Amino acid sequence: MSERPTPDELAEAIEEFLAGEILPTLADHRLRFRLLVALNALGIVRRELTKLPPVDDAEQRELATRIRAGDVPGGTLARLKADVVARLQVASPHYVERYAADE
Amino acid sequence: MIAEMREALQAALAELLGRQVEISEPVLLPGGASKEAWAVDAGEERLLVRRAGGGVIHRHTLSLRHEFEVLEVAYEQGVRAPRPVAYIEDLEGREAFVMERLEGETIGRRIVRAPVPESLPVQMAEELAKIHALPAERLPFLEEATIDRLVVELDEVGEPHPAIELGLWWLREHAPPPREPVVVHGDFRIGNLVIDASGLVGVLDWEFTHLDDPARDLAFGLVRAWRFGVPEKRLGGIGDVEPYLDRYNELTGFDVRPDELDYWEVAGNVGWAIGCLTQAQRHLTGQDRSVELAILGRLGAEVEYEICHLLERQGVT
Repeated sequence: MSERPTPDELAEAIEEFLAGEILPTLADHRLRFRLLVALNALGIVRRELTKLPPVDDAEQRELATRIRAGDVPGGTLARLKADVVARLQVASPHYVERYAADE
Repeated sequence: MIAEMREALQAALAELLGRQVEISEPVLLPGGASKEAWAVDAGEERLLVRRAGGGVIHRHTLSLRHEFEVLEVAYEQGVRAPRPVAYIEDLEGREAFVMERLEGETIGRRIVRAPVPESLPVQMAEELAKIHALPAERLPFLEEATIDRLVVELDEVGEPHPAIELGLWWLREHAPPPREPVVVHGDFRIGNLVIDASGLVGVLDWEFTHLDDPARDLAFGLVRAWRFGVPEKRLGGIGDVEPYLDRYNELTGFDVRPDELDYWEVAGNVGWAIGCLTQAQRHLTGQDRSVELAILGRLGAEVEYEICHLLERQGVT
């Protein structure tokens, strides 16, 4: 499954936010120092993440193309839903649980 | 930046209003990545300045000039909306317009948790009926938006999202007989409405105004993401659909059926799922770098889950 932003892209977005918007507002020297250290650590995480092999999304692409062409055999929805749940376990872990409780 | 803005705004307002005005220090309001909103007072007058930001949400939004024209027509026709004051072609290098700053709450999460009058769904229906009666010939720049446009937008993102494709497939297979297009707001939901204890104070954010099936506009506020954590109240987390639909039909005579709302609710979710991806693209392409936009690329999965759920309810397996 291809997911954008990728993990390193997300880390980069956080880095930019902290360095660009939070750091300039910090007057406390200790906090400034600790934020700079945190940014260093985050940079390490981001660079580690860029070494990950790219995710193979060929299967998802093929599935998307088939559905676009109107090829939707029974069971398609159940399969897609399982894929979405797997993505949600990373992106929003409590969503499915909350959803079930609300129904 | 604020001092320059104050000076530029004061000069622009003096010229447009033809009199000297003394304005307060403009305050940049949070939110709204594609457009800036500045709160400023000119004497007794509470004003809001809507100014272009770095980019646009996507290419299918109105320019600020056109949005201002829509607001003028809507206000003139009696829609509860901020009174338009002036369009400014160049405010510190970007286009902008000035309107009345209404008092009330716009934050969805707060509205669904605050006591709102029971009549709010009916009030929403009444405003929507007025909007759908706006004279399209006065707004010749408005375009029609079809379901096919969603496909174009998804293809522009370029990522495979089979659940969204399935939603689009279902929409193609089950389209209700088309209704005569009318002027629609395009983003009529909690979050874009000013609400106070008496109910609906004003309709904001006219940038998605276009020509469309009125039932589509009527159903947009039902999308789960716009219920702000109160999903049992299908209309924007604040009320039931029945009084809303009944009042709307009573006023328009359009006889929109509940199953049409179901159809357009799916369309609203598909549109917002794609919207999440296009918002993330604004960050990824460097057009508008922001963590809030970036994370939408991942949170769109919540909307895809809702699409799956709605299709399940329609009998898709």
